[in-house]
Amino acid sequence: MLNFFSPTLALWFQEGQRTWFQQMGHAAANPDLSKFLVIGALLFIIGVAGVLTRRNIIVIFMSIELILNAANLNFIAFSRYLYETGSTNALAGQIFAVFVIVVAAAEAAIGLGIVIALYRNKDTIWVDEIDLLKW
Amino acid sequence: MTLSGYEALFFWIFGLAAIFAGLLTVMARNAVHSALFLISSLVSVAALFVLARAEFIAGVQILVYVGGVMVLFLFVIMLVNVSAEERGREEIFNNQRQVGAALVFCLLLIGGVLYSVNPGAQGLQALHPTTPELAAAQQATRDQSLPTSATGTSKITKATEVLAAALYRYGALPFEIASVLLLVAIIGSVMLARTLRQEASADDVDPETLKEEMTRDPQLAKLEPRSE
Repeated sequence: MLNFFSPTLALWFQEGQRTWFQQMGHAAANPDLSKFLVIGALLFIIGVAGVLTRRNIIVIFMSIELILNAANLNFIAFSRYLYETGSTNALAGQIFAVFVIVVAAAEAAIGLGIVIALYRNKDTIWVDEIDLLKW
Repeated sequence: MTLSGYEALFFWIFGLAAIFAGLLTVMARNAVHSALFLISSLVSVAALFVLARAEFIAGVQILVYVGGVMVLFLFVIMLVNVSAEERGREEIFNNQRQVGAALVFCLLLIGGVLYSVNPGAQGLQALHPTTPELAAAQQATRDQSLPTSATGTSKITKATEVLAAALYRYGALPFEIASVLLLVAIIGSVMLARTLRQEASADDVDPETLKEEMTRDPQLAKLEPRSE
């Protein structure tokens, strides 16, 4: 079971020289690429949960910003990793992150314009009351 | 890529701060509180960018997100949310189907992360074997070759210079397309947010439509004289 989810942890349990806490401490004192990816994945999951559960359309937009930021974190972490391995085009990740930020800004401007138009016409920002297209 | 020493400490501080602020963004009842927690989450992620040696992206993150997008969000909350706040009936996490779907998605994603990250990290480790000590030594030699600042206390990195060269050499066309996209976004959001009254006072409405609307809203007639 543990081997299925986390071969690293299973390996640590099998190894006898260092205790599990020492191994975890060593891993925590030297965070590598995977820790960046885990934090990015957690931010993404939080954003998805926000989009699915909230009813306020502005908070849904904020959750989308959180999702885009998690993607950016992955781009930056992989860019750094490739730079350290000596890749020639390691900066592509950072360039892509710039474009993600640009698209996020454009999306926020248009989305909030739509929110204002919607509030003016339908007088609500709760997504379950905006059901004109509901089947 | 392995952080060590104080970088590791700050990595955990800012990583946990980003996650907790993100959670509070989703869980806060008041939209203004959500916006403020999102700002702190974005700042923490910017600190993680600095730890990954992407100083320029961190600066852009602070300037564009915190300085621009979030101020826009707060303005829209101010314009829109007043009456909704008065109603005070924001119930979160009470729609069973939504919460169920969110939980299923979260569990799937967490399972996928647990399943993939560790074997993936092992594979990368096998591909480029480095120990933390070796990575720190490599970083020290890289820093050694950088010029010292005028005060002599720190090194000046060339990360931003290199990024700018790469951006304009390999990403020049996407850069121009992005500027067109931003222009379209500006025009589109102005168009979406304008009212009929503002359009009428700028003499920017079809006369037939204006006559039709004036029967519904007599206030519009007062705005018209500019056209005749």
